[in-house]
Amino acid sequence: MKAVILAAGEGRRLRPFTETIPKVMLPVANKPVLEYVIDAVKNNGINEIVIVVGYKKEVIMEHFKNYKGAKITYVVQEKQLGTGHALLHAKSHIKDTFIILSGDNIIDNTSISKLIKDDSKYSILIKEHPNPSKYGAVFIEREKLREIVEKPREEVGKFISTGIYKLSKNIFDIIEELANEGIYDLSSTIQSIVDDGEKINTIVADLWRDIVYPWDLIHLNETMINRTPSIFGGTIEKGVTIKGDVSVGKDTTIYSGCYIVGPVIIGKGCEIGPNVCIFPSTTIGNNSVIQPFSQVGNTVIMNDSRIGSCSVIKNSVIGRGCIIENNFSSIDGSSTIEIEGEFKKLEKIGSMIGEDCNIESNVIVKPGKIIGRKCNISSLKIIDDNIPSNSKVM
Amino acid sequence: MCGIVGYNGFREANKVLIDCLKRLEYRGYDSAGIGVIGKKLQVFKEVGEISKLEEKIPSFEGDIGIGHTRWATHGAVTKENAHPQLSSNKKIALIHNGIIENFQKLKEDLEKKGVKFASQTDSEVIVQLINQNYTGNLRDAVINTIKQLKGSYAIVAACKEEPDILVGARNESPLVVGVGDNENFIASDISALLKYTNRVKYLDDGEICVLSKKDIKIFNKNTKEVTKEENIITWELKDAEKSGFPHFMLKEIFEQPDTINKALLGRVSEIDRSIRLHEKIEDLLNYDIKSIRILACGTSYYSGLVGKYLIEQLTDIPVIVELASEYRYFGTKSEDSLIIGVTQSGETADTLAALREAKNAGCRTLVITNVMGSTATRISDAYILTQSGPEIGVAATKTFTSQILILLLIAFKLASLKNKLGADELSKYIIHLKELPRKVREVLDNSDKILNIALELKNVDSVFFIGRGINYPLSLEGALKLKEISYIHAEGFAAGELKHGPFALLTQVTPVITIVTKDNTYDKMIANIGEVKARGPEVIAIAEENDSEIEKHADFVIRFPGQSNPLSCIPIIVILQLLAYHVANLRECSIDKPRNLAKSVTVE
Repeated sequence: MKAVILAAGEGRRLRPFTETIPKVMLPVANKPVLEYVIDAVKNNGINEIVIVVGYKKEVIMEHFKNYKGAKITYVVQEKQLGTGHALLHAKSHIKDTFIILSGDNIIDNTSISKLIKDDSKYSILIKEHPNPSKYGAVFIEREKLREIVEKPREEVGKFISTGIYKLSKNIFDIIEELANEGIYDLSSTIQSIVDDGEKINTIVADLWRDIVYPWDLIHLNETMINRTPSIFGGTIEKGVTIKGDVSVGKDTTIYSGCYIVGPVIIGKGCEIGPNVCIFPSTTIGNNSVIQPFSQVGNTVIMNDSRIGSCSVIKNSVIGRGCIIENNFSSIDGSSTIEIEGEFKKLEKIGSMIGEDCNIESNVIVKPGKIIGRKCNISSLKIIDDNIPSNSKVM
Repeated sequence: MCGIVGYNGFREANKVLIDCLKRLEYRGYDSAGIGVIGKKLQVFKEVGEISKLEEKIPSFEGDIGIGHTRWATHGAVTKENAHPQLSSNKKIALIHNGIIENFQKLKEDLEKKGVKFASQTDSEVIVQLINQNYTGNLRDAVINTIKQLKGSYAIVAACKEEPDILVGARNESPLVVGVGDNENFIASDISALLKYTNRVKYLDDGEICVLSKKDIKIFNKNTKEVTKEENIITWELKDAEKSGFPHFMLKEIFEQPDTINKALLGRVSEIDRSIRLHEKIEDLLNYDIKSIRILACGTSYYSGLVGKYLIEQLTDIPVIVELASEYRYFGTKSEDSLIIGVTQSGETADTLAALREAKNAGCRTLVITNVMGSTATRISDAYILTQSGPEIGVAATKTFTSQILILLLIAFKLASLKNKLGADELSKYIIHLKELPRKVREVLDNSDKILNIALELKNVDSVFFIGRGINYPLSLEGALKLKEISYIHAEGFAAGELKHGPFALLTQVTPVITIVTKDNTYDKMIANIGEVKARGPEVIAIAEENDSEIEKHADFVIRFPGQSNPLSCIPIIVILQLLAYHVANLRECSIDKPRNLAKSVTVE
């Protein structure tokens, strides 16, 4: 059996983190989301994978190449019209029954295993969700799919579609038919098979997680960090205290006097300390530096970043390549955040800083603020508003 | 510089050999051939790339065989001259990489004895000689033959009367043995074998190996058996595949944020403000070095030139960069100078020869290379690996930037050892170093903008690249990249030299690419742009992102991120690489396999 993974989307609501990388490549516990998906597929013995790429495809292809011996074929969807349209690009590579997954949702091995073992011609993985109106809401009758409605207006049911299906290759004909009518999404295709009397088995997934907003990166990191196996490379100097599960990558140095309480993941080639405190559910990407006397907790720091001395960062996301000077403070507290016209109230949220920002010394960011990509903030500034990408705060 | 491979095991030899040859194609692609021993010795050859061979090859039965991809040196590109070469009685087949210098004399001697030659190659001489020397033991025949040979060779021979062994030998051409379970391999380089094994034994010059299915025996010239340790290669097969990218070159350009990190990994400490190199290297740098000589060829030579500017600027030690092929015959060798050899493959014949000359004269030698276990690492006093992973595109990209980084690390280390660079200044440079992956990422993210500029160059016949200081070798490299893959005539000049001659070649349709960094030559560069503009051609400037002045002078500007500093050369190189790539792609050139070129130049 082959697997098709859709990975062409951009993830606009996750900006600024998706300005130069596609949503599927966002790191959760130092591993791109798509890697979780590929692992789940591979661990079920599927070795031939077709990945539909589009937005910033080079980032995906460069990272995975031919991942862990899997035979990965990349097909390019130039315009992202819909999930059905995306799947159509894989048509020539599919000869029989296959599974389709979306590359931007974390999924576990067992769910995929249940899907594959299911003996029906068509099956769908579904999941309970507190807020089905944002997804494809799913209605079930005797464990068979009755109806699938994208973003229903009325509050209905409790199950949503995970976008993961087992399908027969006949599906391509139906997608093509609908595409001629200008319908490009996969849910409509599935609905039309149901309407034609086809039985589709529903299977409830165990672990399935979506990332929609930037702060989801913090929450998801917290969930997944415990599931990540510890590795221990690098150099730990004398006088470092480590409690709980702490993963330290190759060529990383933890300098004397650091106090680290797991679960914590520190990537390859990092330098931490001396005297840095790192508290639970923190992930630090590869080649990052945290200078003396700083404190970090429940935070995601991506690759190639530098945090200056005496900084305090909690409940925050720091994009890759950020250079933050001394005495940076990210205040955490409650905040109401507006994203694409929606208002979200969050408790205990710090700041979210896009990639490649330069922040000079003694800058304070108020709770829940989003700083865009490649911003320059000069010293002694207090940031109490969102800052668009490529801005200079003087 | 051809690619050779031998297989002895349980799989269908045909398929294994073709598979491995595809990965050796970067070493040459004029013609290719395969010989398999099954019920009899069968040989099939074809002119052109491996894919042509694969299409036409009949299915041979047999689990032992040899394969070859050729880059012509002696004799034209024809089926007769393709390998394997056979002895007249069709008993022995041989593949060869290298050049036999005394082949003419050997050939005449054989002809006197009545041997008829079917090809013009020097390689056929070897196989005929082996046949003459054959008395029932292929190993002894090979040993007796190589005693008569002068020149460079890596050979693998198969004999239909001994259908269970292959015999390989090397002298100054690369040959490695791949170790498997109940199967063994022999090839020009390990990347060809990665699909099957990552266990390797390196052969040294003058050694002979006998490969059977179960074991590998290695002998020295005096037929005394030698034991060799087995090395594990950490490169993975995925590194040697295109994985979705249209060309290896583009994939390798996009790998650079990663390969830069790999070159620096474990060698740079921001908190300790130090550069850590291997003890042996620090010992070498600790001597009282009066001068440094960098020996290299091609792109590596240009990285040496970049290194010259960096090392001289930081250490005040004079650096002389020499083409290895010239130095070996004409260079001066003094004992108080440090020799740095730069070779991607570690097998570049000219560089190896120059290193040997220098070492024999008593110089200390240091090698910068990408390939662990390569000959260069074994003949030098110390070596530093660039750790870039295999580079398949014939035009060097990621290895070039990594070579420069290593030269930079040497410069920093030397400068701090000689007290020319304070800890604080070093720390500033270290921070710049660590910012490089991010800057390169930004350049890659602007690949589309560079594509738009490439459209301007698509249909021109000639392009100039100019720059001053460190930007001069960058201009040379920019021109080399463009000409080797797009076949547009391109020349790099020191900007100040234009008026001393090259101006005569400048026409209204010769775009000039200028590299303009904000340093003490900035005003001079602006003046040079003015001189060029006055004669009508388009000027494309590569300048830093905050330079607003440049727009008034140049027709197009490509920006590199951040402010100008000596390390800006890395993002600038990536811009030049992308520019060359896009132009070549627009012209539909064969980017990964430019005409007449091959990657590792293991002939002199």
